[in-house]
Amino acid sequence: MTTTIAERYDALIEPERVHGSLYTSPEIFADELEQIWYRTWVYVGHVSEIAQPNDYVRKTIGPQDVVMTRGADGEVHLLLNRCAHRGNLVCEADAGNSSSFRCPYHGWTYRNTGDLVGYPFPQGYGGRGKLDELGLGRVPRVAVYQGFVFGSFAPDGPSLAEHLGEAAGELDRLVRLSPQGEVEITAGFLKHRARANWKLLAENETDGYHPQFVHQSIFSVAESGIGALYGEKSTAVTRDLGGGHSENDLRPEFRRLAAPMGWFGTTEKKVPHYVAAMRERHGDAAEEILVEGAPHVMIFPNLFIAEIQLFTIQPLAADLTVQHVTAIGLKGAPEMNTRMLQQSIGSVGPAGLLLADDTEMYERNQAGVAELRPEWLDIRRGVGRESVDERGLTIGGATDETAMRGFWRHYKRLMTTDRVAAGTAAGTPR
Amino acid sequence: MPVEVVGNEFAQVAVSVDTDANSPRLRIEDLRSGRVRFLDALELETLVHLPEGKLQSLLDPSADRWREDRE
Ligand code: FES
Ligand SMILES: [Fe+2]
Repeated sequence: MTTTIAERYDALIEPERVHGSLYTSPEIFADELEQIWYRTWVYVGHVSEIAQPNDYVRKTIGPQDVVMTRGADGEVHLLLNRCAHRGNLVCEADAGNSSSFRCPYHGWTYRNTGDLVGYPFPQGYGGRGKLDELGLGRVPRVAVYQGFVFGSFAPDGPSLAEHLGEAAGELDRLVRLSPQGEVEITAGFLKHRARANWKLLAENETDGYHPQFVHQSIFSVAESGIGALYGEKSTAVTRDLGGGHSENDLRPEFRRLAAPMGWFGTTEKKVPHYVAAMRERHGDAAEEILVEGAPHVMIFPNLFIAEIQLFTIQPLAADLTVQHVTAIGLKGAPEMNTRMLQQSIGSVGPAGLLLADDTEMYERNQAGVAELRPEWLDIRRGVGRESVDERGLTIGGATDETAMRGFWRHYKRLMTTDRVAAGTAAGTPR
Repeated sequence: MPVEVVGNEFAQVAVSVDTDANSPRLRIEDLRSGRVRFLDALELETLVHLPEGKLQSLLDPSADRWREDRE
């Protein structure tokens, strides 16, 4: 049976085209949960969301409801939001501060590390302390990189560093933009629901071919130069970072323009304190950092950083996905943070144009792929003009589908090799 | 006395400083049950020094509240 499944994905994913059923089949979606979402490293949240001891926030890994907590000792924990008694949801609020959680159904109480503290009327269990083995479910592996918290339902497998690979450098690039070397995620999240498969969102995040069409209206009202970055004449590149990760590397264009803060569509004069703080911290290196700006990177399978915004992709069904979006904050840069928040509201806020445009495309795309003919989606753009950069990574032009091809290569590997024998790596049979 | 509510999804408590006695006390009211307790300065100071584990064991719902073997 194992071979049949592997063969099935082999037949559905070719280097230059992918089959439409990958976006519509509920069986494939269920398989993805096991092979990808409950197995590889998935981005969950940022340490700044639980800054104080005993802070907690509700997060997700795919359809799973996860509570990210900071224990009294400062340690980060990822707990499943499910009472060990009869499965009630333990936490209801999106965020709070509490050393312990008490289930509303029968009062079982847990520490914010997941351990069971106790249960009411203990004689029914033969006394106190008889159910020590019961506690909240835990995501088996938790790891943090540059403040970004990832979880994996697989008890073993590649480390987070191995999973991130070349994409780690993009997170380094992002935190470097803070005068204190840290980002903060404190603006709060908006949730955008899309009637579309999660992979359409992931593929779109570094698709440099669509912006000039889909985002024409926001580029024109904002008098933005972003559109030109994604044109045929742009020197920007699309890079396959390996591991399903990809980026639109706009640095060649920004370097050509050589304007500090040009990446943010502003000038030094508008953010003088920030620029001064960066020069203070980085010395001569500041010029390069201020010109090159923030990354535009999709970290497989669910973390997208679009310069000043953070998105997480949450799959709920083959044709239903929620995109959680927020403005990124740079620690120690209040002047920038105000502007980044304002820009984020305009682009991905409730009435923002950018994400609304994209969501319209995701949903139209989903409606289209559900049609029976033709069966395939074409991803060959730029195949003939790809090259290998100095790091040995494949790059294509600004508008090429190099990122998608990298995504699918990795996807196919996860779906065909080392298949979970029975049930799930997570030990959470569904 | 200004009353502040300290609350999260698990408990809602009103706190204020009460001055009816000969020295001020903290008045704590569990807003769900209406039960009130006063804590004097020495008791409060003790709480600050309570080791983490002891505080946690007080949180066991059967430690004092929901147990069938009371009295
Ligand atoms: S289901 Fe949580 S205490 Fe019974
Ligand atoms: Fe877009």
